[in-house]
Amino acid sequence: MVEVKLKLKKKPKFPLEADNITPDNFAGKTLNEIKKLPLYHAKELVTIGDFFDVSGKAEDVANTKIIIDGDVSNVKRIGEKMTGGEIIINSDVGMHVGNTMSGGKILVKGNADDWAGAMLQGGELEIQGNAGHYIGSAYRGFWQGMQNGVIRVKGSVGNESMLWAKSSKPANKWPTLYCGSASSFLGLHNHGGTMVVEGDVDRCIGADQVRGTIVIKGTISRILPSFKKIDDVTEITLPNGEVITGKFAQYSGDHSVSKETAGRLYIAIK
Amino acid sequence: MSLKDLILLTGRTINQGVALEGGKTTKENVRAAGICTFDKDDFKKLDCIAGTPVKVTTDHGEVLVYSTITEEGPHPGIIFIPMGPWSNQVVNPDTQGCGTPTFKGMKAKVEIVKDGRVLDAIELIGKLKEA
Amino acid sequence: MVQKKIITNYDVLCPFCGTLCDDLEVDIADNKVVEMRNSCQIGTKKFFSSNPSGHRYLKPQIKEKGSFRDATWDEALDKAADILIKAKRPLLYGFSSTECEAQGKGVELAEYLRAILDNTASVCHGPSLLAIQDVGAPLSTLGEYKNRADLVIFWGSNPVHDHPRHLSRYSDYVRGYFRKDGRNDRFIVVVDPRNTHTAQIADLYIKINPNEDYELLNAIRAVLRGVELDAKEVSGVPMESIKELVDILKKCHYGVIFFGMGLTQTLSHHRNVDSAISLTRELNDHTKFLLTPMRGHYNVAGANQVFTWNTGYAYSIDFSREYARYNPGEFSSVDLLMKDEVDATLVVASDPASNFPAGAVRNMFKHPIIAIEPHHTPTSVYADVILPPAFAGIECEGTAYRMDKVPLRLRKVKDAPDDCLPDSEILERLLEKVKEKLGE
Repeated sequence: MVEVKLKLKKKPKFPLEADNITPDNFAGKTLNEIKKLPLYHAKELVTIGDFFDVSGKAEDVANTKIIIDGDVSNVKRIGEKMTGGEIIINSDVGMHVGNTMSGGKILVKGNADDWAGAMLQGGELEIQGNAGHYIGSAYRGFWQGMQNGVIRVKGSVGNESMLWAKSSKPANKWPTLYCGSASSFLGLHNHGGTMVVEGDVDRCIGADQVRGTIVIKGTISRILPSFKKIDDVTEITLPNGEVITGKFAQYSGDHSVSKETAGRLYIAIK
Repeated sequence: MSLKDLILLTGRTINQGVALEGGKTTKENVRAAGICTFDKDDFKKLDCIAGTPVKVTTDHGEVLVYSTITEEGPHPGIIFIPMGPWSNQVVNPDTQGCGTPTFKGMKAKVEIVKDGRVLDAIELIGKLKEA
Repeated sequence: MVQKKIITNYDVLCPFCGTLCDDLEVDIADNKVVEMRNSCQIGTKKFFSSNPSGHRYLKPQIKEKGSFRDATWDEALDKAADILIKAKRPLLYGFSSTECEAQGKGVELAEYLRAILDNTASVCHGPSLLAIQDVGAPLSTLGEYKNRADLVIFWGSNPVHDHPRHLSRYSDYVRGYFRKDGRNDRFIVVVDPRNTHTAQIADLYIKINPNEDYELLNAIRAVLRGVELDAKEVSGVPMESIKELVDILKKCHYGVIFFGMGLTQTLSHHRNVDSAISLTRELNDHTKFLLTPMRGHYNVAGANQVFTWNTGYAYSIDFSREYARYNPGEFSSVDLLMKDEVDATLVVASDPASNFPAGAVRNMFKHPIIAIEPHHTPTSVYADVILPPAFAGIECEGTAYRMDKVPLRLRKVKDAPDDCLPDSEILERLLEKVKEKLGE
């Protein structure tokens, strides 16, 4: 793997839209060509070179790793639509990181803002800090969101994460979120997504779930009234094959959507 | 005297609507929107007469308003401030990523401030403008 | 004694709330409103407030050294254009209390400036629009409800206070074609944490815990599907009452849910509306059921219409990348202001200083503000330029959309003061100035 290093040289006054920072866009380009790639700073068209010092070299998509240094908490859309390669972000990052990506790996060594991994079609997004709302969710007006790939958040995720997630058994696509804790409406309108939470969650988990698997290893503030207790289990097999052991209460839901449902919610028994 | 563990709701009232059309900088507006409405029994615990200024505090700010007793009760544990400059000092600006602040449902506490001066809209909003 | 000549205007539209009453009678003498009939307290006050008073702006104002001075239109528009052009992320906000032509000009101006374009739905029924974008909505018109509805539910809405004549014109006390006995032919349900004045005149009042509307709607939907739930009570409502309510819902001939800020401004915002819409849709397996949002401003529905047919989106639109993009939470006014991401604001037909949370107002005040505003308000008093408009619906004509999206024609019943121009003309001239300065 070859590395392209980007170091932020001045803090943007307004959010910087950096959808051009992807291995796909850097592949096969010289450093000068990379520096000239356009970014938007509010309504001003600028270049990568205006805001970043660029060094290293790029190769083909799969072998290009981009390392970003400096405080990019106000930089949005990094990694948008990438299909391969790697991005490592050594700080907090702005909204929409890794959205619509279908391959490759992004590692955020800090917090991520809202919409991280939105519309994910594949690949891996890892966030070592906390993440905002709508993680792995569908964009406004879309009724199919994350359809494949894995998102790992060590800390918390906000509301409505994994909104409209959709899995496919024939295609063996199991969109999955692992997180430390979650706010409300995790798995809203779920159509097959898998969510595993190491800690606690708030309310309305699995709201409008049609099918899917949500596992809560901590506590839940309130289970929706439309979820019905089935039994207690000691082992859960996730659709992607992984096995989780421990004592869990198994619920079916969301019964506000249908009388019979394949949707499942597991809450740890302490 | 004070009360805590209350929930603050905000919203329109017909008086507030009439006052805002009549002039947002008038005294009528203060009497229509610079108020906090209490449940009858909750108000007894405050041990003061209706109209006494009270300080309402939430996680997001504090504001001085005139106290009144509700005509829309009983609603123990709930207080109501009409929408406007006064309620907006204490509402939750967080939109949870959806764009609309959470104007209703904040946890609040209330204490009497007998000689408190309830500001009119212009003065109150003026405090948000730095020198 | 000289008799003043009184002209009576019939069938005048009221430019206050989303009920958009169309039966007002306005008496004008000597270019002043002297008497009103049929309007509610608020509508009456609005018409009278257009008469000469100490708190109406009669000439453009420019703030110099902390106080306002009169200015010519040319001067004021020039200064306004300069502010907007210089800004890197200007916000054009409001538009709900003016007519559709003006709203259209606003879109043009925002696109030209590559600004953020937003209207008051952002802090009001925006969540309803978000929900409709996700799950659709079975809607109808107020006339249909008046003539057919035998079950009317007000959820998180208090029409006695916020839409005073709604009950007597469309939803409660009025006789309809199939509801010939008026109030006696209807069953009114109110769901609210407080026993509001509307609840006090309802047939059934359901007291709900604040911030728990989603759970109750969720439970109702499950019970409707015939699922036996484990819970004994949801959101403070006993399961028996929930089952009774579901029976009432199923047995009506034609039901309607009117909903307001109780759903959109509490926790879970648009998901409350999402669930209410899904419930309404599911009730159509049993009977006829519809719903309608109780829009607050008389033409906020119009702003959504005009913005949508021009840009594809109803509010919270960003033009910075030369095409329209939409994302409430990212491009919505309060969020942008809370992050101090806006460096100039043009406020049209609204009062954000009064109606936005304090933190957003604080940041808005750090940068220049241009207000197109007829009266002294907390926004205009702290603005840098004031452009005085004529009152749409009183001093100039236009189109407005009612809460059920029916377009109606606003009337002109008197002349505006000499130096007050219609909103659409102000925005047109502002756009011309901006184009001139940018060398078009």
